Amino acid sequence: MTLFLVALGLCAAAAVAGATFPRGSRVVVSSVLGSLGCLIAFSVALRILLTGDTVTFHTAQVLPMTGVSLTLDPLGAWFVLASSFVGVATCLYNVGYARGAMASRSALSLFMVFVLSLLVVPSASSIMTLMFAWELMALSSLLLILTDQARHPDARSAALWYGVMTQLGAASILLGLLVMTSNGSGQNFADLSAHSSTLSPVTRSFAFVLVLLGFASKAGAVPLHVWLPKAHPEAPSPVSALMSSSMVAMGIYGIIRVGEGLLHGGTVWWWIAVALLGVVSAFYGALHATTSTDLKRLLAYSTIDIIGLVLIGVGAAGALADSGQPVISRLAMSAALLLVVAHAAFKGALFLAAGAVERATATRNLDLLGGLIHTMPVTALVVALSAGAIMAVPTLSGFSSEWLLLQGLLHGFSVVSTPTVIVMLLGVIALALTGGLTAVAFVKAFGIGFLGQSRSSGAAQAHEVSKFMTLAMGWLVIPSVVIGVMPGLFVPLLDRAASSALGTSTVSPFTRGAGLEVAQLSGAIQPAAILIGLVAVMVIVWALNQALAQRRARRVDAWGCGRDWQTPRMQYTATSFAEPLQRVFADVLRPQSDVEVTHVAESRYYEQSLVYENRVADILEARGYRPIIAVALRVGQFARRLQNGSIHRYLAFGFVALLVILVVVG
Amino acid sequence: MNSTYIATLELAAGAVLLSAIMTLWRRNVRSIVAMLSVQGMALAAVAIVLALHEHEHALLITGCLVFLVKGLVVPHLLRRVSLLDPRSRESRPLVNVPASLVFAAALIVLSYVVGTRITSLSPSSATHLAPLGLATVLVGYFMLVTRRRAVSKIVGLILVDNGIALVTFLLTSGVPLIVELGSSLDVLLVVVVLQFLMVSMRRHSDTDRLTEMKALHD
Amino acid sequence: MTGTISIYAVVATLLQVVMVALGAPLLVGIMAKVKARAEGRVGAPINQPLRDLRKLLTKERLHARHASVVLVIAPMLIMASTVVAVAISPLVSTHPLLGSSADILVIVYLLLTGSAAAALAGLDPGTAFGGMGSSRAMTIGALAEPAFLVAVIALSIQSGSSNLPSIMVSTLAHPQWVLGPSRLLALGALLIVVIAETGRIPVDNPSTHLELTMIHEAMILEYAGPELALVTLGETMRLGLLFSLLANLFLPWGIATHSSTLSLVAGVVSLALKTVLIALGVALIEVRSAKLRLFRLPELLAGGFVLSVLAVVTGLVTR
Repeated sequence: MTLFLVALGLCAAAAVAGATFPRGSRVVVSSVLGSLGCLIAFSVALRILLTGDTVTFHTAQVLPMTGVSLTLDPLGAWFVLASSFVGVATCLYNVGYARGAMASRSALSLFMVFVLSLLVVPSASSIMTLMFAWELMALSSLLLILTDQARHPDARSAALWYGVMTQLGAASILLGLLVMTSNGSGQNFADLSAHSSTLSPVTRSFAFVLVLLGFASKAGAVPLHVWLPKAHPEAPSPVSALMSSSMVAMGIYGIIRVGEGLLHGGTVWWWIAVALLGVVSAFYGALHATTSTDLKRLLAYSTIDIIGLVLIGVGAAGALADSGQPVISRLAMSAALLLVVAHAAFKGALFLAAGAVERATATRNLDLLGGLIHTMPVTALVVALSAGAIMAVPTLSGFSSEWLLLQGLLHGFSVVSTPTVIVMLLGVIALALTGGLTAVAFVKAFGIGFLGQSRSSGAAQAHEVSKFMTLAMGWLVIPSVVIGVMPGLFVPLLDRAASSALGTSTVSPFTRGAGLEVAQLSGAIQPAAILIGLVAVMVIVWALNQALAQRRARRVDAWGCGRDWQTPRMQYTATSFAEPLQRVFADVLRPQSDVEVTHVAESRYYEQSLVYENRVADILEARGYRPIIAVALRVGQFARRLQNGSIHRYLAFGFVALLVILVVVG
Repeated sequence: MNSTYIATLELAAGAVLLSAIMTLWRRNVRSIVAMLSVQGMALAAVAIVLALHEHEHALLITGCLVFLVKGLVVPHLLRRVSLLDPRSRESRPLVNVPASLVFAAALIVLSYVVGTRITSLSPSSATHLAPLGLATVLVGYFMLVTRRRAVSKIVGLILVDNGIALVTFLLTSGVPLIVELGSSLDVLLVVVVLQFLMVSMRRHSDTDRLTEMKALHD
Repeated sequence: MTGTISIYAVVATLLQVVMVALGAPLLVGIMAKVKARAEGRVGAPINQPLRDLRKLLTKERLHARHASVVLVIAPMLIMASTVVAVAISPLVSTHPLLGSSADILVIVYLLLTGSAAAALAGLDPGTAFGGMGSSRAMTIGALAEPAFLVAVIALSIQSGSSNLPSIMVSTLAHPQWVLGPSRLLALGALLIVVIAETGRIPVDNPSTHLELTMIHEAMILEYAGPELALVTLGETMRLGLLFSLLANLFLPWGIATHSSTLSLVAGVVSLALKTVLIALGVALIEVRSAKLRLFRLPELLAGGFVLSVLAVVTGLVTR
């Protein structure tokens, strides 16, 4: 545990260094301290997962009255593993990235506080510690969104949405946890867990629903997601990477910790609700990702999609545990946990790459990019591999996790109870629906952004970013490849985390080996062998191609259908690429498009200019949240009428209130 | 013998639901009516298979009757009605075709959820299939709500009727002959009335799109 | 784990790859011949696709001016993903090399990888037609994939495994499943998927020469010479794989289930017969139907999706 405290201390020291050191050295010093802290935290988490030990720590200092309680069990360690790994990369990235507002004292120290809070949340073991770390995480990320508000005017509205949603969520979590203490069990997780069975079923369900609302909103589950596609893109890229890979995972962590750890599973309906949230999120996120043209917004929506799949896994695990299937339940939980880590790595890499693109071209609008593979080859490779992982290309990490998820769902069908089977059915359908849509989204992101010809001068003059940034991106590609090719390496760790998550000690669903193999249930994949096969065929094909070719390939103009000139503007753009799907799903997306044609003065048959505009707004925001906000504003207007600045009236309010209290009490 | 019975029953009941889905899928009114005919025959097959297995003579007669009325006569009449209009397509339903198909998938899942609750009361190889009938009812109702043309609406109504018949066949192994007779004749009557209505509607407003009936109200 | 590698597994794998690589172009030739005869033409000989491939291999390599390395890698990736999928799938024998990894998800995503590579290659030269082809092909792929996955999952729920050889072996053990409503619905769904994924009429017209109506052909418009041969062979092998899977999932009889030379021969012959029958069927569908408008395709594919969901639910109801 001391080592973990050292890690936390290093992160805190990094925050202090960021705030105190002079301009020239503060970025480097705080980044080095921060990444060192994250590396140590990573090693601690790894050791806990290897041994299965649980370490605890308590001090009466730091927080008034309650002190700080930290416990790192395999479940918490699994999430620390993810956030510390991404933490190392973002600290490293920041060395190359931070300049201007992001290199200011406040931004640097807030960034390190954010990293620190992401390590504390999964290790907190009392209500106060958890809520303190949670608020630290929320506030530091909120302020970080605002660092570059001078250049990003949208950041203000994004921060407002985020601030309101996260505070409502935190209040809901706190309320839920407090409801759980209503039987006088104290605020330590161990006590809560031991005494939660004395709570009445209604109280337990009430507590779970409150906590679920808060955590699901942090995880970005639809319909509580509206802040996410605004806040994640507007934050500086290292912050976006942390938010999208680690912070959303904290929402998942919370649901598992409270639902399974503290409340011991509860009833099957909780988990059906979780899985339904997952199904809706997966579909909605994937659909919006395909139609987004802002690179970071696309990534944010795809986060909602993957989180949806994770929620399906968690929901399936809970429902299966309640239906008396502990082994399959553990399998589904493993799938969800593996997906969390895989997602943390590839989404972190993609956000960092998006930051690199934004730095190099001054835009993140895909419709203005293109041809970056020629000027930014390393970034292009990172995006290609990470996009491959998210598209579940076999032998990359997304595939291993989705395969496990499918195994969990498929074997879950053997359960008799109908509600559980429905969870499995909806999960399978969601998995199938999102697979193709995700592929479209990321073929678009890579194909339009990095291939073809540049669509703007910014994209044409791009240069590869600094070594630190490419190194950080490369670091985050490692898990995508390793989990994909050798998933067997992670199985013991994963299995321990899943069994600690469910609090059961059943036989492991896995057989040990290099690939993924599910014991008892027939199912196995050997990604390493598949990779060998793929590489072998590619080498043979390449060799044959070389042997057949008499000389180097000749460069010629592309086919122009008879025209003798072609401009980059004739290429398909991100908007036009997704247009067919947008049309197919018009009922869900409700796109708005305007066409404005100006004719030549002489004749109506000749057009002078044509303006086409296409917008896809978040329909849930427009139809679900705006009306509520309108009502709130109206209430606010009314309150303003009461509050007209007259001191007499304020005094009268106080007097009336006093009278009312007296009447009620008396 | 028993496994053939179950397999045939499953196949026939599956065909009833499948033809309901097909009516949502196709736009051409004539092929919608053809699907309806297939459905009537599949429904009759369910009744006849059940009757042979349970040795119920009344049900056998019902089955033959269903075959005659719902498999042949009603579709024939509807075809004649649809011939009155040369533009025989359900051109723009209120909910577009892919969306209605996806919605139908959701309805099927829903009826599975609800249906298994009911069938768990008396599990047998026949009652297990009742969710398929329930799904047919829901799909029919959906068609009734979302299609514009009068003929399609009638088809929706008949789907609902067929679905109810399927559920009752499967759950009770046979409706009293008189009840089935009544409902079949009802459907027949509706179709005949529709035929008259269509003729007079076309004389008045040259269309049978029910949305345009609003104009009469204004 | 597989343990020792049996010689029969190696032979079966090689047989599968060779058979699909040489046989799939013949299937395409047969379909073209049937169409031509039905339309009253003589038609090209059925080995024309193989001749075309040979001709392309001897031609000069041409690369579009703005293309990147993706244009070169994509054909290799298309070939690699398809060949691996063919090698591990149970086509001739239920025990090819790595048959234990022949999971439905592996096959579906290997094919998806191939389509994604093709789509990227379409976007790479930065032309209007390539982008159009990629966009349309990906759209159709994204809409067909759910039906594909859910339909195969319907089969695997019945067999209790998502491993393709296990599905086939358990189908052999329970012949009454084949005519069950769940199977038939899944068959309908898969048929639609196969037509969409292989780009046949009514989804795409493989013999069109108008850029604006092309889907797959527009995407690979910039390819020439040996690379075009690779892309075309990859696509043809994908067709062969899908036809073979369709045949073996629904009528697995004839596939070699144990290690003997005789059963391997039987496996080869039965696979050839079954796929030729499917090719005839698809050719007849092509003759009878016209290509659908792009925006009517979602109806067809949504229909396939509903069929597959129906297959799963019916399977659950009747189990």
